[in-house]
Amino acid sequence: MRLRQSLIAVAAVVAVSAVTACSPSAPDKADDAAGSGTTLTIATTTDVVNFNPLVGNSRTDNWITSLMYPRLLSISADGQKSPLLAKDYGFTNPTTAFWNLRDDMKWSDGQPVTADDVAFTINSILRDKPAGNTTYGQLVNVDSASAPSPTRVELKLKRPDSTVVTEVGFWMNVVPKHVFEPSGNVAKFANDKDWVSAGPYKLTGVAKGQSYTLERVTPYPFAPNNTPVVSKIVYRVYPDINTEILALKNNEVDLIANALPPAQVKNLQNTPGIKVQEIPGLGYAHMTYNMKHPALANLKVRQALSHAVNYDAIRSVVLQGQAVTTGSSPIPPVLKEFADPSSQEYAFDIEKSKQLLAEAGYGPSKPLTLTMIYSLQDAVTSQWANLVKDDAAKAGITINLQGMDRNTYLAKTAAGEYDIYAGNFAIMDDPTTNMALTYLPGGAINYSLVDDPALNSLITQAQGTTDKAAQKQFVQQAATMVRDNVYDNVMYMQNLYVAHSDKWSGFVVKPSELLSVVDPQSLANATKN
Amino acid sequence: MTATVAGLDSVTNDQVTAARATWAAFRRNPLGMISVGILVLLVIVAACAPLIAAYPTGYGDQVLQAPSGAHWFGTDNLGRDIFAEVVWGARLSIVIAALSSALAIAIGVVVAVLGAYFPKVDSIVGTVVDLCLSLPVLPLMILVAALAGPSLVTLVLVIAFFSWPEVTRVVRSQALSVVRLPYMDAARLTGGSSIWIIRKHLLPAVAPVIVVSVVLTASRAVLSAAGLAFLGLGDPTSWSWGRILYEAQQSGAMQSAWWTTLFPSLAMLALVVSATLISIAYNDARNPRARED
Repeated sequence: MRLRQSLIAVAAVVAVSAVTACSPSAPDKADDAAGSGTTLTIATTTDVVNFNPLVGNSRTDNWITSLMYPRLLSISADGQKSPLLAKDYGFTNPTTAFWNLRDDMKWSDGQPVTADDVAFTINSILRDKPAGNTTYGQLVNVDSASAPSPTRVELKLKRPDSTVVTEVGFWMNVVPKHVFEPSGNVAKFANDKDWVSAGPYKLTGVAKGQSYTLERVTPYPFAPNNTPVVSKIVYRVYPDINTEILALKNNEVDLIANALPPAQVKNLQNTPGIKVQEIPGLGYAHMTYNMKHPALANLKVRQALSHAVNYDAIRSVVLQGQAVTTGSSPIPPVLKEFADPSSQEYAFDIEKSKQLLAEAGYGPSKPLTLTMIYSLQDAVTSQWANLVKDDAAKAGITINLQGMDRNTYLAKTAAGEYDIYAGNFAIMDDPTTNMALTYLPGGAINYSLVDDPALNSLITQAQGTTDKAAQKQFVQQAATMVRDNVYDNVMYMQNLYVAHSDKWSGFVVKPSELLSVVDPQSLANATKN
Repeated sequence: MTATVAGLDSVTNDQVTAARATWAAFRRNPLGMISVGILVLLVIVAACAPLIAAYPTGYGDQVLQAPSGAHWFGTDNLGRDIFAEVVWGARLSIVIAALSSALAIAIGVVVAVLGAYFPKVDSIVGTVVDLCLSLPVLPLMILVAALAGPSLVTLVLVIAFFSWPEVTRVVRSQALSVVRLPYMDAARLTGGSSIWIIRKHLLPAVAPVIVVSVVLTASRAVLSAAGLAFLGLGDPTSWSWGRILYEAQQSGAMQSAWWTTLFPSLAMLALVVSATLISIAYNDARNPRARED
């Protein structure tokens, strides 16, 4: 009997040690109160595709490259731009813009970050037109950039453009000239090894499909004592949000970079050991009606569609109350400087919708059937698309949903092959620039294919003035015009939530999923309690 | 002439007797009978879905509620009743299974029988089938479904297109042994046309294999359809068991709301296991040696 017990004990010990040996070892997390010497492990759902920040990239690419290549300006939770690499900025005359840089930032190989790097980055983007580069569209009025001194960058403009300094300043990652120039063409530079970073972190290890390791770079002036608190950051790749949440619950990761699905927020808020952080939204979700479609070119049809959507239900059920109305305006309320609080949302009114439809000549004898495209990778839109379809059916409009793979969706969008487009923008930080891109003919995201001379004139005037009050007036008038003519049906602005272990604090909240708490300044200040 | 007719009668009688014996043996197998019961129940549920539950649409205010008296299988992330989704999902899942297996069987049997009957075609058929069977089916299904866009027709065609070689393989091996039997030579000697011989003599001989193939292909089709739907390549506008799983995954509910995945998975399990058991029971029942045991 005793022998049997001993055998069982031995077997148990062997089994336990075998299991322990097989388990993946937890990341090194030395208990250091200050956080120095610790590792912050972050979960993401996709691999890095491009290590070159000048080439259009995915969310994970952006999160990781932004930790190495600084922006001139940052953005605060209310959408205001704040200094980062640039100390101040402005215009010397309507066609000359400038940034004055700080002089205490260094690349990790010891070279200083100078105006030469910034001018090189801008001129290279203009010359090489890297695919999918956001800044390229914002540089449309820029002729060239120069560096009259190591701390001053000047932009020569082809015509007045009041938003170029702040927009380029916020969206563009500055790259080191001495690393990128030898490649000849920045659009073709892979930048997949021997990274040089201006901080707060530098990529040191890549295990594709598994993890990306970054180590701290000093000096980094936006961290306490010029030193990022945590010495190492590891991004780990998980298949989807479900596995990320499990990993967080099991303490395998400290933070989930992806925004939580709305239905999971409450659940995680009630989970011990996990802190859920609200991230203000800075973009919006919308439906655009293709103005080239003969029925949709009719204002009454667009109005009928806009009144056949239960916006409240979408916000309260699909988004679990985590979204706010924009009053059907393309200027989200978070941009207090520009927003027009008097803008009223389209009322959900099926009878009115039917009446408008009848006035437009549609009804039971001449039914209206439209297709609506959306990306199946966009879980929230996929859900409300069904609600839109059901409510439109009540008004007598048949909407055929075409949920599709993201690449097909982007291709169809680019080709204008849809009646209704449903989707969202992550950051709409500047109404003037955004309206130029969204509503001017030929604009990169003019998905309603609208071309209204009165609207074009308002937007162009807003672009041309540096007077804030005048600009506000122009963009508000333009927004009212967009709302009244249903050139765009802006449905809500979503506030996002991210979850992290409650052992961590010190994160700096920035708006949108793109920045959230994984913005460089935030990660450089994160500490383990 | 009279003798021939009498001969045919006796063949017919033999077939009737064999069918009766098979049925009698099948009835004695409790697993087989239970499986038939489950399958019939699922088909009834699918057919009578409107009588059982309202079509799950819109939204509800009780989001991600655990199973209760009001919602037997709980609710999903939009507050829709999962019981209703499973019931209506049965409809699409079974329709896809039926249509794609019918198509796969039709293609598979025609190719198999032609191959077996016409030796010249057989080498080509054999090579094509071997080639198709060596293809990585799931990645190809994903590729085709992604390119063609998610819809019922796409799913049926994709699944059928990748399922027929398996049917051909099974039916062809049976047909090859049948065409060598003396009664096939006798049929040829009577001067009957190839089509007549295939229809009257070859097809009935391979019918039992086809029956088994139908059941197995259909159950595999359910799994393939669910797999594609789970990957977001199903029809996003109608309910299937795969779509319930897909939505649970998309909404991040998988790790917190077990009921969103358990019930559609159980439904799939019930269908696939019962289909497999029926085919095993049928195989046993029609095998005289197994019957004697």
